[in-house]
Amino acid sequence: MTSILVQDLHKTYKGALEPSLKGLSFSFPKGAIVGLLGPNGAGKTTTISILCGLVKADTGKVQIFDLPQNATNREAIKGLIGIVPQQIALFPHLTAVENLEYFGNLYGLKGKSLRSRIDEYLQAFGLEKNGHKQVHHFSGGMKRRTNIIAAILHQPQLLVLDEPTAGVDVQSRSMILQFLRDYNQQGVSIVYTSHLLDEAQTICQEVAIIDEGRAVVQGGTTELIARHPECRNLEDVFLHYTGHALRD
Amino acid sequence: MLRLLATIRKEWLLLLRDRTGLTLLFVLPLILITVMAMIEDAPFRDYQELRFDILTVDNDHGRLGKYIREGLEYSEQFRVIDSVKGQLLTEQQARDLVNEGDYKICIIIPPGATGAIVSNANKIVNDILKRMSMPGVLPVSTRKDSLNVTIYFDPASKKAFKSAIHQALDNFLTQVETDLLLERIKQQLKRKDVQETDSMVIQLKAVGLKEQLTGPSQEIDVISNSVQHNVPAWSIFAMFFIVIPIGGNMIREREDGSLLRMKLIPGSYLAILTGKMLFFVGVCVVQFYLMMQVGIYLLPLLGLPKLMLGQSWLAAFVVAVGIGLASTSYGILVGTVFKTPNQALNFGAISIVILSAIGGIWIPLEIMPSHMQFIGHLSPLSWGLDAINDIYLRNVGVGHIWGHVGKLVFFAVALLCTAAVIEKRRLS
Repeated sequence: MTSILVQDLHKTYKGALEPSLKGLSFSFPKGAIVGLLGPNGAGKTTTISILCGLVKADTGKVQIFDLPQNATNREAIKGLIGIVPQQIALFPHLTAVENLEYFGNLYGLKGKSLRSRIDEYLQAFGLEKNGHKQVHHFSGGMKRRTNIIAAILHQPQLLVLDEPTAGVDVQSRSMILQFLRDYNQQGVSIVYTSHLLDEAQTICQEVAIIDEGRAVVQGGTTELIARHPECRNLEDVFLHYTGHALRD
Repeated sequence: MLRLLATIRKEWLLLLRDRTGLTLLFVLPLILITVMAMIEDAPFRDYQELRFDILTVDNDHGRLGKYIREGLEYSEQFRVIDSVKGQLLTEQQARDLVNEGDYKICIIIPPGATGAIVSNANKIVNDILKRMSMPGVLPVSTRKDSLNVTIYFDPASKKAFKSAIHQALDNFLTQVETDLLLERIKQQLKRKDVQETDSMVIQLKAVGLKEQLTGPSQEIDVISNSVQHNVPAWSIFAMFFIVIPIGGNMIREREDGSLLRMKLIPGSYLAILTGKMLFFVGVCVVQFYLMMQVGIYLLPLLGLPKLMLGQSWLAAFVVAVGIGLASTSYGILVGTVFKTPNQALNFGAISIVILSAIGGIWIPLEIMPSHMQFIGHLSPLSWGLDAINDIYLRNVGVGHIWGHVGKLVFFAVALLCTAAVIEKRRLS
């Protein structure tokens, strides 16, 4: 069974000169931590937007846990996915608890069950003493961790993280990555996008590298490195497939 | 319902922690309406309500001068001044003082004015007696040229002001002439063997003028004054300024990704938007009633008239909600169209100033040229103000304000639909 199946996806935004996606295809197994990698402008954000139903593809097929992404399933799929955006998508003048209560309420969670879930996650991310501080007083790492909690409150089966460790210190990064491994152990599928390829190599069991709207390669992380003897790590593999030209 | 209530709670907490925002929403408007009501008090007063210093040079030293002075003082419109620094005014001094702008008006009563009026009255009485085949015995002057009471105005005086003063003085002259004529007639009739005890009264005013209200209620006599215009007008203006915090709020949520997060959560975003709108409509209604309190309690302490609210509190509440809906929807549209808070701030502020200027907030639409009145009636601020004026000045109830409220609600719905289309286009 796959967590995500994408087949021949095409998307051109209105007024754009170039298509964002040109027949993108990949699939990720259920229950794995996978990396969706690519240089700037490769089509990662468009792909994630289509996966979670924010943007409609022109043509192609998308399935989340065997559910086709369409108008009928859109709301059900939203409930299956948790998205951690690259931005700190929190209200800076609300406390961490107030932020989490708000997003929990939007998911239909309330009362003691919501409160205990918030306490549990705050403790898991080392934020239990800071839950009642306003988020704008938080360090970058604390904001990132709260950002992740907001995406998992509803206990999704698929967690999509966009640069979850950007701008955080080593300790916070280590905690986030360890949490993702533990969370994955509970059977949650995780899709991880990042430009930090050493981190992706450490955490991802499988990666798909996309460039210019197409998947250029997909496979197990160690298998891909082994496939190219000249490549010492995932970064070398990435450059092998996407080249050294700047993507401004 | 949970989404809606959670959004209201979230907006409430955010507003409570934004002290600058609270000041902008609740304190500045109170200062604004107080200042505007005081500044615009004088232009709103009729000339009848104001008291002017009037320089008087009496070269006649007769009854006319006395009559004019007494008449002017009695009217309580004028304070008669005939000397400066203990010296009686000369015509030249009075003209100079007016010309220099120290005084607004000066009247010069020419020598022989009383004689001329008495002579004219005598001539009329003699003519009447002749027609009654009785001899006319009252002395009549042989002077042919007519005399004028001269008025000098401050060169900066406005036409309407001059016209009002002309009319008032003309009334006094007519009154003096009529009084003298009646007095002469009474004297002549008494001369004809009428008993001294007979107190003959000649009443000229058989028919007078009486002002009545046109509205359904005859109980409250409210006139449009500075407070009745400025408090509702600037309250509506301040309520529309909620466009700026809402626009900024929408843009910040889009920029920091929280809008994206809200849209990724299953369920309708409409419930979240409705919660946001309800909260800000509530803020507008609270603003409205706070500003009305200024008109009722604070402005009278500053010497201004008390704001009269009419008799239908329900109608006023419905209009306040209508204005809140229109202004909140405008804020949502501004927040959807513009990409940065700065753009929204500049456009929002300038567009509200324009809408308020053409909508009769600064000066009433009634005194604008007809083409500006037509344009003014397209402004949502004018719909709100017309509705409030109908309630406060004409004492109408809920049944009479649906037209105005309907336009405000239609405006709100149209803007929300436009915002939805723009947002959809942005995503695609």
